[in-house]
Amino acid sequence: MNVSITGLRPFARFLVSFTHQRRKINLYPIPQRYMCSKKPAVPYPNKENSSPPALLELDGWKTTMKSSLQEESVSTVSSKDEDTLAATRELIEMWRLISKEVPEHITEEELKSVMELPSKSAKRKYLKYLSIKERMKKAKQMKKEAKAVAREEAKQAKLLETTAEKEQNFLFLRLWDRNMNIAMDWKGAQAMQFGQPLVFDMAYDNCMNGKELRNTVSQLLESEGWNRRNVDPFHIYFCNLKIDSTYHRELVKCYKEKWDKLLITTTEKSYTDLFPKDSIVYLTADSPNVMTTFKHDKIYIIGSLVDKCMKPGLSLAKAKQLGLATQCLPLDKYLQWDMGTKNLTLDQMIRILLCLKNTGDWQEALKFVPKRKHSGYMEVSQYSREFVNRLKKKTFSSYPQNSLNVGTQKK
Amino acid sequence: MAFCLSGVRSFPKLWKNKPFLGLDPGQASLCFFSPGYCAIRSQQRWFSLKTASSQNKKAVDLLIAKARSLKKGGKDYKKQVSPHYLFAAGAAKKRSRMTISQSNKDHALPKKCSNIQLPIKPLNSEEWDRLKEDFEGKANFEDWIISQMVKCHASIDVAKSLLAWVAAKNNGIVSYNLLIRYLHLCVTHKQTSEVIDVYEIMKSRYKRLESSGYSLLIRGLIHSDRWRDALTLLEDVKKIMIPSKKNYSDCIQGALLHQDVDLAWNLYQDLLGHDIIPMMETLKAFFDFGKDIKDEHYSNKLLDMLLYLRNNQLFPGESFVHSIKTWFESIPGKQWKGQFTTIQESGHCLGCGKSLESIHLTPEEYEFLKEQIMKDVIDGGNQYRKTTPQELKIFQTFVNSCPPFDIVIDGLNVGKMCPKACDSEVLLNVVSQLAKQNLHLLVLGRKHMLTNRSQWRESDMKMIQKQASCFFADNISKDDPFLLYAALNSGNHCKFITKDLLRDHKACLRDAKTQRLFTKWQQGHQLAIINSSLRSKITFQHILRYDTVVQTTGDSWHIPYDEDLVERYSYEVPTKWLCLQRKS
Repeated sequence: MNVSITGLRPFARFLVSFTHQRRKINLYPIPQRYMCSKKPAVPYPNKENSSPPALLELDGWKTTMKSSLQEESVSTVSSKDEDTLAATRELIEMWRLISKEVPEHITEEELKSVMELPSKSAKRKYLKYLSIKERMKKAKQMKKEAKAVAREEAKQAKLLETTAEKEQNFLFLRLWDRNMNIAMDWKGAQAMQFGQPLVFDMAYDNCMNGKELRNTVSQLLESEGWNRRNVDPFHIYFCNLKIDSTYHRELVKCYKEKWDKLLITTTEKSYTDLFPKDSIVYLTADSPNVMTTFKHDKIYIIGSLVDKCMKPGLSLAKAKQLGLATQCLPLDKYLQWDMGTKNLTLDQMIRILLCLKNTGDWQEALKFVPKRKHSGYMEVSQYSREFVNRLKKKTFSSYPQNSLNVGTQKK
Repeated sequence: MAFCLSGVRSFPKLWKNKPFLGLDPGQASLCFFSPGYCAIRSQQRWFSLKTASSQNKKAVDLLIAKARSLKKGGKDYKKQVSPHYLFAAGAAKKRSRMTISQSNKDHALPKKCSNIQLPIKPLNSEEWDRLKEDFEGKANFEDWIISQMVKCHASIDVAKSLLAWVAAKNNGIVSYNLLIRYLHLCVTHKQTSEVIDVYEIMKSRYKRLESSGYSLLIRGLIHSDRWRDALTLLEDVKKIMIPSKKNYSDCIQGALLHQDVDLAWNLYQDLLGHDIIPMMETLKAFFDFGKDIKDEHYSNKLLDMLLYLRNNQLFPGESFVHSIKTWFESIPGKQWKGQFTTIQESGHCLGCGKSLESIHLTPEEYEFLKEQIMKDVIDGGNQYRKTTPQELKIFQTFVNSCPPFDIVIDGLNVGKMCPKACDSEVLLNVVSQLAKQNLHLLVLGRKHMLTNRSQWRESDMKMIQKQASCFFADNISKDDPFLLYAALNSGNHCKFITKDLLRDHKACLRDAKTQRLFTKWQQGHQLAIINSSLRSKITFQHILRYDTVVQTTGDSWHIPYDEDLVERYSYEVPTKWLCLQRKS
């Protein structure tokens, strides 16, 4: 029963919904009589040794609570299918009364999907998701309104001010956004012709559930945006993107009419058909090989996959199957990793790659790794000390070439 | 921890403002047994500690264990419990205790939310008003105070006075939230008449309730004369979701309490029909009730229940097993005799000397398991995840070309056993010791073991390859699936050596039944090396010869059970048994 207590909302609801009864109740003298706290009452049957609270009337509230019996039980006739729907709706309503996280308003479709969920915890989780969504929406709406008011006020203030100084000399019209877009499109077109390819492998749509897929699409959108704004963008390829797959539909839904005007290449073909195999490098966190430098003549592939259900090694298996080279980011080399998976989001990946492409500086590039995942940069001295320690354990003579593999092997 | 709870419940209204005495075990026990001296805050602490930290649970366990060992004449209680066995109940706990030295961290003190002292007697409205003024905090005062009362099991009179005050302020309306908490209090104090009153109120005010309200009402009503209403409530729950096992348990206990056996069995069937695993209390209730019934039909159903335990590898708790014992002994004419024993290593019951079921799988089960391992663990829909098809083919032809192995060794796991010694040396030591016993060995490893390095010396590896067959997988392949397959392929006599508990591979198997088969096979075939020094003769953790499961031979029953004071991990099995024998 650890229900968090939030606000007066349940109370307020009661006040609203029972106001009509209040008037009625007031007609009868009974409640008032019972409510009077200085009324001699029946002695307690169950507790003999309790301190005598005989002066308190404790059971009076029950009568008034029960008295609403006739008014409540009127409308209960309904058909079978609607019955479960109504029952679920009422369940949600009751959950709200005990301050569980459920949405205030729920649509018919959402209600149906609640009903179809198999377990209680699934229902609760979905309802919590809905309630959070609702809360965010409401907060956004409030902010919007507040902003509108502020803008209105600012406008008024400006009107008063700017009447005096009217004539000003400008060099440009205010068309910055559009100019920026045009410039970015030029750059994009240039990248389409001469840019380094960067491939997103879209072959994972059957490994993900709906939620993961939606997350992936939003990450893709963001990555594309970061790429567009860069000085020297990649030429992005969406490979293995089947027309009319869920992926494709989601992407079109998000981009709308812009989808056909995007300066990227989308293809149903695989990257192995488009590029020579030996220049492809598949980036995956499971890879035993660590990326040391960003090569400008390689084609890097990022698997567009959000894995929330613990399916490790999917992209590595894919690369193995196609016989491609794999690499992972040198996160351990440069960062003191604390927690979280080494799988980064797609937009983080593309920002790191863009930064590497432009500067080649790992320290600079890895600042896009979320701060919560690491406690700082590895100092050079510290890494080299560890390195030397590791070397000391081995006989120096026959040290293998790819020393970085050692850490990833099984202990 | 039922002990602690019952201790608290028995002194619901004796709070005084004495300072808490601290958490030293001795003093804590003093708190236990002389509850009158406990302050409210101390009780809250007991609760939060009980739930929050296992450390404290351990302290309590130790305390009780200490008391026991005193009773038993100073014998070390813990040592007595678990033999040297990888899957014995409590073994994992012990292992973790050996590796991690206990650090005596201070418990985080419970957050101090407010300076309000919970009232110990009913207050009138002025007093409540005053109390409300003192309250500071974000939450609603009424909600906060009643949840505190629920936490401390305050007397229901206090709660009632609170509700009366709220109702007076609110034109006789008490919110559902408060009513539920109040109901919770009534149910914990077993105030049936109050429960019925609240039930009436709920019925009149709300058309439907939510799950926690239904659960509380069901639990409260089953003790009253209106226990049949609990069943209608259960039907209401079914409309919105599958009732919990607790709901069913309460209803069944209510039915048994009121002698309606058929109804209880129907509910039980219903419960099983929903694929819910019943609570042990439910089953115990049937056995407890069975003592007074001398009916062939009923006892057959109880035996069915024992078979259900067997099929699902469930183990009764200590109190349940006592109920089973008394029920068997109460059967007239058959003269069952029960005793609590342990099983010898050879698989013979210490009580009756009979041997228990073997741990080995039947041939059909064995084939099935082999197939499933191949299909789910190694292949798993995508062969590239664990290995490659080429490698798999090479491995299969290799295994099939060799005669069956006696022991399959996980080379990397064994090699890394001693952190200080050279890996190849450790492996060589193990291999040569086993090879001396004329066993046909297979060592599984990865290719990087062959490149001459400080940890894997070429000379050692050559020696190993001389004494055993070896298979080296790719560096990025998983070697455990190969281990499992090689061991299964060699037949029932074949054992494998690794310290790995193989839980991730077990998780790859698709259903619980296959996983249980795997566990059983693993228990019978896994050898784990105990000693970690290089030079000494290797010893293995001993393997169970018998299957730990409820079993019968018609005129005898052997039932393993969980002791209350031993914490058992899911992959461990109990060590204590109830042995039942028919005299005639």
